[in-house]
Amino acid sequence: MAEGIALQTILQQLLVGLSRTTILFIVASGMSLVLGVLRIPNLAHGSFYMIGAFLAYSVSAAIGSTMGFWTAVLVAPIGVALLSFAIERGLFRHLYDREHLMLLLFTFSFTLVFSDLVKLIWGSDYRSMPVPEVFQGSILVMGLTLPLYNAFLLAVGPIVAIGLWLLTQKTKIGKIARAAAVDREMVDAIGINVQMIYSVVFVIGCFLAGLGGALVAPTQNITQGMDHGIIMETFLIVIVGGLGNIWGALTGALVFGLSHAVGIMVFPQFAIVIPYLAVVVILMFRPRGLLKSIW
Amino acid sequence: MNRSICKVSAILCFILMLTTSGFAADTIKVGLIDCYSGPPSTYTNDVRDAFKLAVDAINAKGGVLGKKIEFQTRDTKFKVDLGIAAAKELIMKENVNLLMGTINSAEALAISDICKAEKIPLLVTFSKSEAITGAKGHRYVFSFTENTAMAGKAAAVGLSKKPYVKYWIAGDDYEYGHAIGNAVWENLQKLNPKVELLGQTWWKVGEPDFTPYISSILAAKPDAVIVATGGASCVPFLKAAKATGFNEKVPFFMHTATELSTLQPLGLDAPEGVIGTSNYFFYYPQTPENKQFADEFQKAYGRPPKVGALYGYITAMFLKKAYEKAGAVDTEKFVDALEGLSVDSPIGPLTMRAFDHQLMLPMYMGVTKKDPGYDFLVASDIVTIPGEAVMPSIEDIQKARGK
Repeated sequence: MAEGIALQTILQQLLVGLSRTTILFIVASGMSLVLGVLRIPNLAHGSFYMIGAFLAYSVSAAIGSTMGFWTAVLVAPIGVALLSFAIERGLFRHLYDREHLMLLLFTFSFTLVFSDLVKLIWGSDYRSMPVPEVFQGSILVMGLTLPLYNAFLLAVGPIVAIGLWLLTQKTKIGKIARAAAVDREMVDAIGINVQMIYSVVFVIGCFLAGLGGALVAPTQNITQGMDHGIIMETFLIVIVGGLGNIWGALTGALVFGLSHAVGIMVFPQFAIVIPYLAVVVILMFRPRGLLKSIW
Repeated sequence: MNRSICKVSAILCFILMLTTSGFAADTIKVGLIDCYSGPPSTYTNDVRDAFKLAVDAINAKGGVLGKKIEFQTRDTKFKVDLGIAAAKELIMKENVNLLMGTINSAEALAISDICKAEKIPLLVTFSKSEAITGAKGHRYVFSFTENTAMAGKAAAVGLSKKPYVKYWIAGDDYEYGHAIGNAVWENLQKLNPKVELLGQTWWKVGEPDFTPYISSILAAKPDAVIVATGGASCVPFLKAAKATGFNEKVPFFMHTATELSTLQPLGLDAPEGVIGTSNYFFYYPQTPENKQFADEFQKAYGRPPKVGALYGYITAMFLKKAYEKAGAVDTEKFVDALEGLSVDSPIGPLTMRAFDHQLMLPMYMGVTKKDPGYDFLVASDIVTIPGEAVMPSIEDIQKARGK
C-alpha cells in the first residue's frame, strides 16, 4: 500500500491530522492541568466536553448563522466553567484528601449522572451544528485542499497553547498553581489560599473541555457517548505526554493525532490500532511518559 | 434468624410475582424489548410509537377476536444480557403471547434463541442481521425489517447500472459494517464482473472525525465508494463528506443515507448527490395510504414518521390479521397464519415469505437533494427495487442453515 503515495497526500493527511490534534490538545491540556494541580483523575472531563458540545449546539441553533457560532464558542465553555465551579465548591473540595481510587469512582459516578442529565435536557436524537458560513468549503494550501474549518482549528491550537503558557508562567495564579502542584502544604503554610487556587484551576480545566466540545461540534455528531470516546483518548494522551504536564498534553496529542492520520493512509484496514500501538511503543521505552511527569 | 428472614422474603417475593402482572386479564399481551436509551432510541421510539398508534386504532374498534391488544416495553440499554433478562421476565412472569424488538442484532439473536425454546413468537422490528431469518432462523422468529443481505442486494442492483469500475469500501469495523460491505460487493461482482476493488478502510464504531479517512480515500482516486456505515456514524460522515467536497469529487453509496433520521439532523448542511437506500420515506410513495399514515403519525406525535415507524406499524397490522386468520389466541395457529400472509400497508401490499419468515420489503434507492418544501434534504430520483428482487434466494437460506 505504501508505495505510490505522493508527498502531497502525506502532507494533506498531516494537515488534517493536526486539526484533530488541536481538539485533542485542548481537551487533554485541561485534564492535565487538573491532574497536575488537584491530583484528580477526572473521568467527568469527557462529560464536560460533551456538555460543551450540546451547549454550543443550543446556542448556535438559537442565534443562527456565523454569529451563532462565535457566540456558541464563547458561551458554551463559560457555561461548562460555571457548572464545574458549582460542582467543585459543592462536592469536589470535600474530597481532595481521599485516595485516588475513591476520586476515580466519584468522578465516574459523575459521568453517569451527566449522561442522564444530557439525555433529560437534549433528548436522545442526534444533534448537528452547522459549520459557520465563513468556514464552509475548503482552501488550497500549496496545492492541498483543506476544509476551511480544519484550517481554522489549526489556527486555534497555537492560540490556546500560548494562552496556557502565559497563564501558567506569567501570571501570579499560574505560579502559585505550579507551586501547589509540587508542594501543597508548603504553599498553604505561607498563607496562600490553596482552596481558591484549586477552584480556579479546576474551572479552567473544565473550561478547556467545554471549549474542545464547542469547537468539535460543527465537525461531528453531537450525541450521547461523546464523553466515553474522548475520555479514553485524553487519558492516553495525558499518560503518554507525562502526567500533569501541559506540554506533555501537546506532545501526546501530536503523537495520537498524527499517527492516526498517517496510519489511515498507510494501513487503511488497520487504522484503528495505529495510535494505540504508538502509545504502547512509547510507554515500553518511556513508561513515565515523553516529558517530565509532575507526579 | 437469618434463615427465617430468607424464608419470609422468599415467600414475599413469590406472592409479589403472582400478583404484580401489569397486564389485564383476557388480552393479547405483547412484550416490546428494545433499547430506549442512548442514540439508538432515535430509531426505536418510532417503532414503539407507530406500533402504539396502530394498536390504539385496533383496540378502539374492539380489538382482535374480541380481545384488546396490550403491550409493555422494557429498556435494554443496547445490552444483550438485559435483553435476555427482559425476555425471560416477560415470558415467565407476564405470560406474554409474543415478543417484539430489538435494534441490537446480537440481542435479537439471543432473544430468538429463548423464543425458540419457549415457543413464543418473536417479531423482529429493527435488527439488520441477515442471520435472524437466515442461518439462525426458526419457526418462531419473524422479521419485519430489511437486513444486510437485502440492502446489499438492492445496492448492487442499483450500482450495477452505473458505469463505475474501480471501487473502494469503507465502513464501521463491526458486524453491521462488514456484513453490508460484503453483501454489496458480492452481489455487485455477480451482476457486473468488471468491477474491481482498489482497497478498503475500516474505522472504529463511533469514530468522531472522518476527514482523514476521506482524504486518504480520495487520494486513491476510486470511481465510486461504498460506505458501509450505519446508525450514529451516518450524520458525521455526511458532514465530513460535505466539508471535504467528497460528494462532488467521487460518487458514494451509503445505505440509509437518504433516511430521515440521517438527513433531518443535518438540515440543509447535508451533501447533495449521495446515493442511498431505505425502506421508507414519509413523502414517498406518494399514495393516499402513505399520506394518511404519515398524517396520523404527525398528528399523534408532532413529527413525521421515520423508517422505524413503518416497521412498528406494519408489525401491528400483521399481528392483527394473523390472529384473525388463526381464529384463536394460539401460538401454533398464529405462526401458521403469519406464514405467507399479506397485508395492505402504507407502502402497498406486503407479504411475509413463508419459507424464512422474512418480510418482502421493497427498497427505495434515491439521491440526496435539496427541496424547497423542506428544511432538510430529501431523496430524489427514487427507484423502487421490489421485494422479490432484494430477497436472498431460498437456496441461499438453505445453504446458510446447513441443509
